[in-house]
Amino acid sequence: MRVANSATALVDLALKAGDSYSAAAVYSIAESKQKHQLKELMFGKRRDALALARWEHTPASVLEALCSASDDAIVVRLDKNQNTPTLAISKLYVAENQRSKSSASLTVLVAQHRHASLSVLKNIAQFEDDEASLLAVSKNLAANSEVLSILLDRFESSSILAALQKNISEHPSTSPQLLEQLYEKGDVYVKAAVIGHANCPLQLIDKALLEENVFIQRQLAADKRLNNEVISRLSLHQDKSVRCAVASNAIASNDVIKLLAVDESDVVRRVIASRLDLTSHVISRLMNDQDVWVRQKLARNPTVSFGVFDKLSKDLQADVRRGVARNPRCPVKLLHLLAKDEDYWVRSAVAYQHRTSKQLLIELADDTAVDVLSGVANNPNTPQRLLKKLTASAEADVRRGVILNPSATRLTLLPLLEDAYYLHRLMLVGNSKLKDKDKWHLCFDPDYQVRFTAFKYFAGHFIKSSS
Amino acid sequence: MKILVAVKQVAALDEDFEIRADEKDVDEDFLLYDLNEWDDFSLEEAMKIKEAGTTEVEVVVVSVGPDRVDESLRKCLAKGADRAIRVWDDSIEGSDAIAIGRILAAVAKKEAPDMIFAGVQSSDQAYASTGISTAAYLNWPHAAVVADLQYQAGNKSAVVRRELEGGLLQEVEINCPAVLTIQLGINKPRYASLRGIKQAAAKPIEEVTLSDIGLSGADVGAGNSMSHVRRMYIPAKGRAEMIEGTIAEQAAKLIQIMNEFKGV
Repeated sequence: MRVANSATALVDLALKAGDSYSAAAVYSIAESKQKHQLKELMFGKRRDALALARWEHTPASVLEALCSASDDAIVVRLDKNQNTPTLAISKLYVAENQRSKSSASLTVLVAQHRHASLSVLKNIAQFEDDEASLLAVSKNLAANSEVLSILLDRFESSSILAALQKNISEHPSTSPQLLEQLYEKGDVYVKAAVIGHANCPLQLIDKALLEENVFIQRQLAADKRLNNEVISRLSLHQDKSVRCAVASNAIASNDVIKLLAVDESDVVRRVIASRLDLTSHVISRLMNDQDVWVRQKLARNPTVSFGVFDKLSKDLQADVRRGVARNPRCPVKLLHLLAKDEDYWVRSAVAYQHRTSKQLLIELADDTAVDVLSGVANNPNTPQRLLKKLTASAEADVRRGVILNPSATRLTLLPLLEDAYYLHRLMLVGNSKLKDKDKWHLCFDPDYQVRFTAFKYFAGHFIKSSS
Repeated sequence: MKILVAVKQVAALDEDFEIRADEKDVDEDFLLYDLNEWDDFSLEEAMKIKEAGTTEVEVVVVSVGPDRVDESLRKCLAKGADRAIRVWDDSIEGSDAIAIGRILAAVAKKEAPDMIFAGVQSSDQAYASTGISTAAYLNWPHAAVVADLQYQAGNKSAVVRRELEGGLLQEVEINCPAVLTIQLGINKPRYASLRGIKQAAAKPIEEVTLSDIGLSGADVGAGNSMSHVRRMYIPAKGRAEMIEGTIAEQAAKLIQIMNEFKGV
């Protein structure tokens, strides 16, 4: 069968298939008469309409077409579906308000929806009384500072003020002015959140320096606007989380890093081991750390020298050796050594490593461990003839490795279009190495998800060509 | 040699659903149907025996249910089952697991298999008794919750490891023919190949009525079952409240709630 050469032909095929998911995939490119037929196919049976209203992949255009439904169960699903577009959410909110007996639980769903418009959120903030809905608005990332400000002003003396303050202090859209207001009126948790906020004004940082509360100090210690003296003071704090925050702070001086590299807490030293600005003295200290995770973090650190890699590649702990093998700067010489490691998890890291040579990958392809073979299948340096062989592996993980391999050619991938695992066929729909004629039969796949993805892929051609 | 695999098309609930007007089940519009997960493992175990043995093995899947069950039976055929049988009659509606066991036993008497596999339980009703009741009606030995099976086609006995509480395994030798209820994880079920799916679409599914297996409406259905559903409902939720505020405020609120609860 030949690839459809027009939107009309593709929609006709979806209609002929008689499957609601294929219909949903082409709905946005259909002409008005076809749209009517597609709606009949998708929503004719309540069962199908309910399934599409709930499905996380249902296109926004289909959900919008469903939003005039009077079925309460469908409305709930549309309110919950994160793909429901802004206009549909607004319509659902208006319809809900016009009902004689509106449901607070539906308003909550609208209030927490990521596509809720600012005007809807503002309306809820201004006029709704249901606490759950108001709290949902205060957490909704679509809300802006104005909406958040309305909430704070409206409920200044309400029982939900504490919860609102907590949510708004953590909201990324909260303005510096609102943060100042929250810092003045909020409890210690709110203050801590304000200090940790990306929009926190400098004057609040200065104020927080006078606070002794550990929650506030933890946030403060991570701030990049602190001076050396404060950072040094906080690096001596008795709370390990505060010291951890200092250890992760990019502005920490070499002296502070040196001090924290011998910190009594493993957690602090682990953070230090991940830094990209370590001196050789600190690295030497961490290389011999008793904590496996510290050595593992160091092994993953791309700034360490060959000597460090060499020592850590002989570590008694496999996780540390694996860290070396995973490091993007791991020397090729060490990869050869680690490819013979007794632990398959270490060999697997070598197989996934992009610096591993073609020859080494050929040797690793004889391994029996699935994780090693998956790495070989994923590696862009693996020779094509090996990849072709791996497409016949009995292990789905290995075959998937070939699908994910950016070097796999069309001829290598072709047999995988018949893979028994539906997800593999689905993944190949978007593969740029395959031609449209290779993928076309996936529109008639036994699995509805594959059919949907294939129809959507071909529908995309006509959206692009018409725009 | 023949292995009969009893399978069920189970219903999974969506996140939100409605109860039917008669309050005895969930509204069918809200149910998603699929092959019972345990039965996938049972079929795979039968397929392993079929593919490993030198003796020819016929794997027959059987299910009790309406037309929609064909979809699950086709899935089994696509995975390699040789034949599929579906038993249905409107009078079967409302049958409990024991009555279904009676139907499966009647099919077994007609098919004369050497082994019967069933899942330990179904994911929707979870009675875990269909396989066992089938064995009882046949008067065959049975082993439940089988996590490992050593059996070659044609053998007069099998060695099974049964999964018990506390991580214990019980090794049991069982005479054949027998009914085994298979536990999840005993093997790695295969995916049906596209070729298998295409071939399965052309294979017939044998539709069997009660009279074909020597039963009548008087043997099955809600009225002739030992148990029946009186009603299905969502229990009323208890009250829960997140207490916000400072520790002192939370403590004060907690005391207030406790006093209200005690009626102080």
